Amino acid sequence: MRHVPTLLARELGAFFLGPMAYIVLMAFQVIALLNFWELVDALSQPQREFSSVRDPMTTYVSSSPLFWFSILVAVPLLTMRLIAEERRTGTIETLLTLPVSESEIVLSKWLAGVLMYLALLVPFALYLPFLYFQARYYFDLGPLLSLGIGLSTMGMMFVAIGLLFSALTRNQIVAAVWTFVVLFLMVVLTLLLYFYGARQQAGWAEAIRFLAVYVQVRAFGQGQLDPRTIALHLSVCVFALYVTVKILETGRRR
Amino acid sequence: MIQVERLTKQYGSVRAIDKISFGVGQGEIVGLLGPNGAGKTTTMRILTTYLSATSGRAVLAGHDALDEPLAVRRKVGYLPENVPLYQEMRVKEYLRFRAKLKDVPRSRRRLAVSEVVSRCRLTDVEDRILGHLSRGFRQRVGLAEAMVHDPDILILDEPSSGLDPIQIREVRGLIEELGQRHTILLSTHIMSEVEAVCGRVIIIAGGRIAIDEKVEKLRIDKAILVEARGPAEPIRNVLLGIDGVNRVTITSRDTGISGFELGTQGGRDVREAVCQKLTSNGWTLRSLELKRSSLEERFVEAVTGDGADPSKVKAT
Repeated sequence: MRHVPTLLARELGAFFLGPMAYIVLMAFQVIALLNFWELVDALSQPQREFSSVRDPMTTYVSSSPLFWFSILVAVPLLTMRLIAEERRTGTIETLLTLPVSESEIVLSKWLAGVLMYLALLVPFALYLPFLYFQARYYFDLGPLLSLGIGLSTMGMMFVAIGLLFSALTRNQIVAAVWTFVVLFLMVVLTLLLYFYGARQQAGWAEAIRFLAVYVQVRAFGQGQLDPRTIALHLSVCVFALYVTVKILETGRRR
Repeated sequence: MIQVERLTKQYGSVRAIDKISFGVGQGEIVGLLGPNGAGKTTTMRILTTYLSATSGRAVLAGHDALDEPLAVRRKVGYLPENVPLYQEMRVKEYLRFRAKLKDVPRSRRRLAVSEVVSRCRLTDVEDRILGHLSRGFRQRVGLAEAMVHDPDILILDEPSSGLDPIQIREVRGLIEELGQRHTILLSTHIMSEVEAVCGRVIIIAGGRIAIDEKVEKLRIDKAILVEARGPAEPIRNVLLGIDGVNRVTITSRDTGISGFELGTQGGRDVREAVCQKLTSNGWTLRSLELKRSSLEERFVEAVTGDGADPSKVKAT
């Protein structure tokens, strides 16, 4: 595992030497601004009542449609090039003939993706100190921390899935589309199924509710740090990474 | 250094290489020659552990390519065809990055990189971005990368493809220089390159080894070309009677002048005897020439499978 820092540095370098990282980061900054605007607007109307269910802070990130839409678009954009580009340019041949194991390669590419994903969340955190110190809106720090943990584990899972699809093809667009479809199903379809099931009062609605990523993250945002959800995210993540390593290893047997 | 036994690679129903066996000794420079699609690149990819063989064994520097891929990779420097590089990195930065991944110790890294930079004459471009380099420089960066960890074995896939004549000469000189310290297996379809650089040549055609011989040995094979004024058949019989001649073919029978090609035992030079015999029989000798069979002819012969038809050979 001693090669991981070297490989990671080159992956991050490749991100920031291309335009993609800046475009995505810029877009997220704009979205964070819009959401923050909305939040401040809502808070400045004291006559509006907030129930315990509708905490204003959840509208800022975890239940904002804009946030979810941009995450679903950004993660495939960040992960699509990780392995597919190496396949297309042929550099995978120089990479896989180095005295470096496949798991080291996969791990460093995944870490680079996760760091980039976390960088996307920074714009959202950037505004909060202003709200706390300048506007003197003393929000609870606990739920925010739990939301951070939940979004991180979710991101680890998403990036691992994106990496898996990037390893399957040499075409970056194909990798991005597949990743988007799968993430979309995980976030939106599970939610719709849950609503449908709940209306029918079906037994499986509860199971779907547990799997629905949107519901999970909302719960994190409300301060429910559920270790079962974290375990689920990390298990999916480890499984996807394992499959990616196996894909690279069996690539030798083509 | 390299031992290959009955190596086979099957892509679906296509057999890219078929039970090939050869060996490369320490310090040898061996050329792998063959037409496109003969299996050169597949062989090299198996040796560098990028692909695994369907059956057979490859042992490099004492390590099996299938069982100990990491140990093999540590001993081998590889220049792939078309030299894939990370376009956004700078020359020196790239070499340092690769040296790190190839476990060159920190204390020696700086020295190792600057040494390959000067050996491959990259000093002028060491801070340029790889994507902006010309083909010749990219090739040299690839070579520098292959040898930055001072491997025992260098495997070079078409090191001079796409270069201009001056660059080819430079790369060739570099390979010759490298041959003093490393065992080199290189593939090419430029014949003159093999003759200039390699000590031994392995010709692959259709996934099998057609010829595996020392270059000097291939050159020794020679023929004698004779042209004389006179009837073809009687001259042929006389020529066959000369001691040491084992094969005479009539190559032309124009108006009164006949041409012959003589094969001799062990490449003996019988030109004087030929001259004597012909003149004593009253036929005038028009030309008498010793022809070394060039590698190119042997190559065409091996690949197309038919006997050397001289007119065909010259056309290629």
